[in-house]
Amino acid sequence: MPLNRPKMFFLSMSFLLIIFSVPIIQSVMELARHERPQCIDILLQPPTAANLRRFENDLERLSWFSRELQPLMRYLQFIVLKDAGEKALLGKDGWFFYKSGVRYLTEPWPPRGHSSQKYEDPLPAILRFRDDLLERGIQLLVIPAPNKSSIYPEQLTSRAKTISAPVYTHTLQVIDLLRANNVDVLDLFDLYSSQKNDFLCYLPQDTHWSPEGMRFAGTTVAEMLVSRSWITKGDSQFERKIIRLHRYGDILRMLSNPMIERLYSPEELNCTQVVQSQNGRLFAPLPDAEILVMGDSFLRIYEQDEPKSAGFTAHLAYELQQPIAAIIIDGGASTLVRQQLSRKPDLLKNKKVVIWEFVERDIRFGLEGWKVVPLPHTPAI
Amino acid sequence: MIFTSHIFIFYFLPFVLLVYYSLPVKRNFFLLVLSYIFYGWWDPRFVLLMFLATLVNYICGRIIAAAPVGSSKRYWAVFASVAISLSMLGFFKYFMFVQNNLNFLLQILGSKVFSIYQVTLPIGISFYIFQSLSYTVDVYRGTSPPVRTFWDFACFVALFPQLIAGPIVRYNTIADQLASRAHTLDKFTSGTALFILGFAKKLFLANMIGQAADAAFGAETLCASDAWFGVVAYAFQIYFDFSGYSDMAIGLGRMFGFEFPRNFDAPYLADSITDFWRRWHISLSRFLRDYLYIPLGGNRIGPRRTYVNLTIVMLLGGLWHGASWVFVIWGAYHGLLLAFERWRGKESLYNVLPKPFRIAITFVLVLFSWVLFRCPTLEGAVQFFKAMSGMATAEGGSVLLAGELYTQGNFLMMGLCAILAFQPVQAFDWVKNLTWARMCFLIVLFFFTLMTMSAQSFNPFLYYQF
Repeated sequence: MPLNRPKMFFLSMSFLLIIFSVPIIQSVMELARHERPQCIDILLQPPTAANLRRFENDLERLSWFSRELQPLMRYLQFIVLKDAGEKALLGKDGWFFYKSGVRYLTEPWPPRGHSSQKYEDPLPAILRFRDDLLERGIQLLVIPAPNKSSIYPEQLTSRAKTISAPVYTHTLQVIDLLRANNVDVLDLFDLYSSQKNDFLCYLPQDTHWSPEGMRFAGTTVAEMLVSRSWITKGDSQFERKIIRLHRYGDILRMLSNPMIERLYSPEELNCTQVVQSQNGRLFAPLPDAEILVMGDSFLRIYEQDEPKSAGFTAHLAYELQQPIAAIIIDGGASTLVRQQLSRKPDLLKNKKVVIWEFVERDIRFGLEGWKVVPLPHTPAI
Repeated sequence: MIFTSHIFIFYFLPFVLLVYYSLPVKRNFFLLVLSYIFYGWWDPRFVLLMFLATLVNYICGRIIAAAPVGSSKRYWAVFASVAISLSMLGFFKYFMFVQNNLNFLLQILGSKVFSIYQVTLPIGISFYIFQSLSYTVDVYRGTSPPVRTFWDFACFVALFPQLIAGPIVRYNTIADQLASRAHTLDKFTSGTALFILGFAKKLFLANMIGQAADAAFGAETLCASDAWFGVVAYAFQIYFDFSGYSDMAIGLGRMFGFEFPRNFDAPYLADSITDFWRRWHISLSRFLRDYLYIPLGGNRIGPRRTYVNLTIVMLLGGLWHGASWVFVIWGAYHGLLLAFERWRGKESLYNVLPKPFRIAITFVLVLFSWVLFRCPTLEGAVQFFKAMSGMATAEGGSVLLAGELYTQGNFLMMGLCAILAFQPVQAFDWVKNLTWARMCFLIVLFFFTLMTMSAQSFNPFLYYQF
């Protein structure tokens, strides 16, 4: 059936109006801010593939249209489809899961033959690090921190209730391999799985352990170090004070959408801050301590984040009543922390034990993979 | 550049439309220049390759047209066109495949393997090589006149709306339009409507359900329900992705006065595999029929040869999709099913059943082929088939796949996809009768799809790689 002109005009003009108005408004806004219209940038650089990608990405990232409407669309998708976006999965009862953590568990590892994914075996890097430390008379304790989905799979899918076998098989393989090579490993998986009915080991909105879960890890590590006679309890005077705080979890924050955040209440956290008994000052890492802890955001939470000095390092210091040194790099526990230590070998002075924490998904997704990083020979140690 | 990108929708398209409709002359040349920019956006170096393919086929076409019918010059010119074009395609698309297979054989024979020479596959090469070849073959056959100017021919090869993923437009379909075409509000409006529908199909349906398909096909182990859910999700993803792209291409073509052929006709309503290939990627089926099946003898040499020809055509059609043994097996699977139905007089084995059952069985047969199409290796496909048949189960972390697959959003999208895929009025037909209500719906749909585009980071084009 032929269309009549008003109808045709209406659709065509509306379409043109939409596609023309966005770049025009964008340019006007930029001119009003006394900026050069961004679309002109394309003429100011050589048309290499990299420059074109950058130009295209910037154009989209800085577009008023994307910035204004993206939050609304993500909110609608969250409400209608229960879709938490590219980084998160929505579980039951307000639980959120980090998608990379789940993908680490569901996808094959090591990758299958056809995969374009780069595979870096963590074993050579860990063994070399252990051997380098042993040469200096330093013990290494490795702690793979469980993904939340490994401990609370039933909060993601009820299918998990029907199985008794663990879901973290890839990490179990790594732990077994490390133990077979005489690397000391703390298996928090079993411990948390047996304790999770007594207290909440992980925060529903967060990728990380809860204050209780973190304290449990700290106590367990301290007991382990003492029972192996690697460390004896010191005489520093640390004490704890309770601090309650309310905050949104990092997964909810990752959604970068205040409208979604408003659908949830902040989580109430019962933190315990570690302070020096003599002067009431907050615990702070000490580079000359006998123990060095290195790891990722599992060590950062509560320690460098609010309320501060209430994280794993502080609690280990409290449990052992002695100072602790620390290297903490978000997402960088696989290689970056060792590289930093290699650049600052003075941190190994006076050390008896290095505690190396990394979240289990870093076995696959760790920044910079699992590079072998030899420690420099420092006669001073 | 892809159609569903911010830069295309808000910068490239408005600029092209504005200048194109402001130019009184040289519109094809302008489209050519912008098409090269569109193509070169991915990697500017490969524009040269396209230009070379265009030049070779243009020169061969001139030689063919100038030489008397029956002369050896015509034969050698068409031979050169086919040989050079297929050599280009062969090198860029199949060279690594050949090297890998040679290495595999050398390993079996206990010889030393050689290092693989890495070749980057230029996007859309299969489409534009086929299109430019169709020109020289048509001129050779006398079914098309030689092109007026080089720039018209270059415009035909590079025309951005159908450059990356078709529909495969044969030269004789578009020859007259290159010389002269009408630009009407009617055509522009229906093009706009089709573009919007294709845009929505791609972003709302294909991209959303594609994440479920990716999760299922990426899992280490699967149970039967996960595997079936995953392959149905993939069937919807590939249909709405590819048909959405085709709708956008046809719509854009209309905006610039061109009329490209229909590429899909409700393929999941097919009640036999023969019927499926009449409805799926129609432009490729026709291309293979006219330029491969018929030259091989088609059905003229006898039934046995017909079955062999059908299988050969589909084998090569599989290989056209990708340099991998799974694509060859995918082609062989369809070829054998087509040959079997041809043996039964173009009827399926289940032809006696009521139509809904025939459609359902055909859909399941197509699903099996999508497993081959989606899995990167034969080993992976076998694992997937095992899961579909209940011979495998989800183990370890793969149990958590359920949390990613069976979500409210995926169920809603699956339902919506099923409703839209299993009904006869597809986008191409729907835009023929645009009422006021449909117009308003289209504008709202376009706006919401743009919002979706701004919120999505998962935006693959499945046929980009072919």
